[in-house]
Amino acid sequence: MRRIAVRSLLFDRGKLVASLLGVALASTLGFVQVGLYRGFETSASAVIDHVGGDMWAMPTGLEVIDYAQVVSVGPRNLLLSHPCVADVRAVVYGFAITQVSSGTRSSALVVGVEPRPGRRTPWNVLEGDPDELAQPLRVSVDRTDLDKLQLPSSPIGRTFEISSRQVTVAVLTDGIRSFTLSPYLFTSMTNARRLLGVGENEAMYYVVDLVDRSCAGDLVTWMKRQPDIQMLDTDAWSRKTQAYWVGGSGAGAALLFTAILGMFVGGVIVGQTLYSMTKEHLLELATLKALGARPGELAQFVLWLVLFLALAGIVSGFSAALVLKHVLLGAGLTVVVSPGTVAVSVLGTLSMCVMASLTSLSAVFKVEAATVLR
Amino acid sequence: MSGAQILVKARGLTKTYRMGHLDTTVLRDVSLDVRAGELALLMGPSGSGKTTLLCVLSGLLRPSAGEVELCGVSITGLADRVAAEVRRRALGFVFQTYNLFPALTALDNVAEVLALKGMLLADARRVAGEALARVGLADRLHHLPGELSGGERQRVAIARAMSGDPALVLGDEPTAALDRRTGLDVVRLLREQVNERRAVLLVTHDIRLTQFADRVIEIDDGRIVADGHAGALGRHEPRDAP
Repeated sequence: MRRIAVRSLLFDRGKLVASLLGVALASTLGFVQVGLYRGFETSASAVIDHVGGDMWAMPTGLEVIDYAQVVSVGPRNLLLSHPCVADVRAVVYGFAITQVSSGTRSSALVVGVEPRPGRRTPWNVLEGDPDELAQPLRVSVDRTDLDKLQLPSSPIGRTFEISSRQVTVAVLTDGIRSFTLSPYLFTSMTNARRLLGVGENEAMYYVVDLVDRSCAGDLVTWMKRQPDIQMLDTDAWSRKTQAYWVGGSGAGAALLFTAILGMFVGGVIVGQTLYSMTKEHLLELATLKALGARPGELAQFVLWLVLFLALAGIVSGFSAALVLKHVLLGAGLTVVVSPGTVAVSVLGTLSMCVMASLTSLSAVFKVEAATVLR
Repeated sequence: MSGAQILVKARGLTKTYRMGHLDTTVLRDVSLDVRAGELALLMGPSGSGKTTLLCVLSGLLRPSAGEVELCGVSITGLADRVAAEVRRRALGFVFQTYNLFPALTALDNVAEVLALKGMLLADARRVAGEALARVGLADRLHHLPGELSGGERQRVAIARAMSGDPALVLGDEPTAALDRRTGLDVVRLLREQVNERRAVLLVTHDIRLTQFADRVIEIDDGRIVADGHAGALGRHEPRDAP
């Protein structure tokens, strides 16, 4: 039945093209929307994910990393006094006002992280030496923010103002974008404190590395002595920040809606083509039934058609998504193509195709062999 | 002939359709046997019940009353799945409109049915090629139905019907869409398929086909009104010439 289905599909070029366009459109939308969604999520929590650690200490009630508040050195000392804590790193993080050469003012996120082997910030370095950031008032900028900061494509050594202080670009990174669209400017702890007006021993977050992850609960209990501080597992903190921006802003719902709409449109096109092809072949299928074919064997006609369309659509959708990924990157949008996003998109396309085949399957199951003799 | 194996045994067949609030009876207490070695024609005016009888005899429709045995198996009370299995083994069909897959070559139209019946594809293609050669299409194996004439398409359908070596071949107006000469050629071909293990039963309006028949069964208003040799029934055999 596979050969009958595939040859019938290839035989009718018009229907083949129409259905392939439908499934490829839906599949492309699926890959891109899921990739954008994941891209939004990863950019929302990029700093948390790259700084890492086992747990983060922060002011109680904080929902998202970007709304950072200053924390005194007290919690750090309390953390270090617990035997389960191997290391504590301070993170200075906050919005600052930038002023570019034309005089335009905007906001940027200044980030300083106490270094740790294997966890360097910034990452994805294109040009410059991250060690240079330790020099006074040196910062990194991202390639995607060069226009916003009115910097040339090779910005190393160029200057602009942050909090009325002139800073010099020492590092150029690639693809480190915040969900808020404010440029990330990485620098040393000293520079970050200076630019954000934070005291010498103060920070916004303390990242904790545990001796043993199983004692995380003990540490949370221990830190209840300081009720204005909450402890969150790094993964949970990452998800919380992602949920705040991607879920709370409505961006996730918009992407999901577009993906569903794309799948719906693709499903209608594929469904109509499949149904039309099935109806065209009902007499032949009824003939096979008269000759003794079982309903399950006849259903394979539709299932092979839909499988062929789904696979062709997935391959073309994936190829189109890879092209769009590069196009959208130029526009500052990150489309994540990972095993996870591919799996979700493939599953979505397959589900769409299966749904689209239901009316055709119903027609095949209902076909009466006696119709061939009427 | 009377000692030949009975391939179809029908007793007391009645078929009633409900149309709205009205019951319409299209078969009334029909009993008949079809034996191996005969080519029988089922004739009668339009609406007389010929096609319904063919459907009931082949197990495609259940009778409202009565019983059908196909190759010794009672198919009247069988589940659809089991009845399909009996058809798969015992029956071949030839239709007025050929019902070939337009995207498959003549060879594949026959081979795919054999594959559906469980034959390996390589074997199925070999057997299909032999079957097509027997109906005179050895040089048309790789042509699509759209590239064949009506008569050639019907020959492909006959090869498909014969390729599983069925005991009974049923035909529904197999010559109706063909010109006179081609139609007679097709029936001559069907005649050649009859042997001591196989019978052919054709529904037709075409009186010219009686020259090839061992037997003509006439049906009218759902009843068999005559059953015997074409000559005995007073049929005139037309000239077999253009």
